[in-house]
Amino acid sequence: MPAAHFSACPDCDLLLNRALPQIGSTAHCPRCGCLLHRPRTDSVERTLALSIAGLLLLFPANFLPLVGIKVLGHEKDGTLWTGVMTLFNEHQWAVAILVFLSSILLPFINIVLCLLVSGHLHHNRRHRYLTHWLYWLQHLEEWAMLEVYCLGIIVACVKLSAMAELQFGLGLYAFVGLLFTNALLTSNLDGHLFWQRIAQLNGQHYEN
Amino acid sequence: MKINTALAQGLVRCHSCGFLGKRDIRLTKCPLCASPLHGRQPHSVQKTLAYLLSAYLLYIPANIFPIMTVTKLGAGEPHTIIGGIIALINSDMLPIALLVLVASILVPLLKLIGISLLLLYVQRGWTGDAYRWTVMYRIISFVGRWSMLDIFMISILVALVDMGSISEVLAGPAATAFGAVVVLTMLAAKSFDPRLIWDNQNKP
Ligand SMILES: [Zn+2]
Ligand SMILES: [Zn+2]
Repeated sequence: MPAAHFSACPDCDLLLNRALPQIGSTAHCPRCGCLLHRPRTDSVERTLALSIAGLLLLFPANFLPLVGIKVLGHEKDGTLWTGVMTLFNEHQWAVAILVFLSSILLPFINIVLCLLVSGHLHHNRRHRYLTHWLYWLQHLEEWAMLEVYCLGIIVACVKLSAMAELQFGLGLYAFVGLLFTNALLTSNLDGHLFWQRIAQLNGQHYEN
Repeated sequence: MKINTALAQGLVRCHSCGFLGKRDIRLTKCPLCASPLHGRQPHSVQKTLAYLLSAYLLYIPANIFPIMTVTKLGAGEPHTIIGGIIALINSDMLPIALLVLVASILVPLLKLIGISLLLLYVQRGWTGDAYRWTVMYRIISFVGRWSMLDIFMISILVALVDMGSISEVLAGPAATAFGAVVVLTMLAAKSFDPRLIWDNQNKP
């Protein structure tokens, strides 16, 4: 049986005739309902544009104050970094590292990987680590948790609103922008297309 | 009824890039992305069980010990996860209290129970509605990350409320345990192979 005409469902391993849905429609597994394929318009170009936008937003979101509070004349600003630093100084190393990874380092790595992969594909340029980048991108994605952090900010603000005066900093707007860019990035990156383009660049015959 | 799965036809799907290849002892790596090729994730049940048991163990200190200490005008008051929720209810913030209740108590607990049931389903060879069990698996994988809410909230509070004896928030020992529970349950969900649910259906 020639494998090239078939694909398998990632969630239930059902052997399927390869579906090639139109842009705007989706292919689902008939047995378990798993989303198999959702093609996107200009996936490579959009990923490239969005990852550049994300990279630009990353710096203000990281270093400008997100929220500031005022209690009895004392003022204090909080950035993404101050939380990590304070936890570190309180010897909560494990928690500090966890927060650092999921809110600072991994979102950054994800955007850089998106930029590298889509940039190379857009210019049809080969690179010996291209497959590794896409591989790591797919595996690290779920550990970046900006949207959960955003909810954390909301809950913290509600808790503090009873005892202190709050000010929202410029960093918060950049952070929300980054959040939306990230969500668009995830939904516009078409994994199927990316792997296919990489295979073409490497001169391999491959269809998934 | 025998269902046509890739494995039954001697084909293996690459977990990373979707490449479908002939199952062959010599073909151990995906020709496209070079990740290891397996018909099913190797030792999926054992790995999931190991992560799950560690998560169960850490779930206890995560709920017994204080997750943070709030100091107001010199008087320190330790809060457990549940204590924090009760404090929110007492200060009339019911919606936020419910949100924290769902993210910090219900989601981790349902994840632990859900993954245990999935393991039982696979190990015991149950053949109940596989579609429903797959949906449950997907929900478990999706909601896991939202439990980090408490950890992030603490990291923000700790940074902002830092004024010595006037008012201060310190993270407590339960924060480490709770963070570990979230990571371990995420790893447990990630190492569970949902195709094992469907393999039960094909067994005679
Ligand atoms: Zn399926
Ligand atoms: Zn592969």
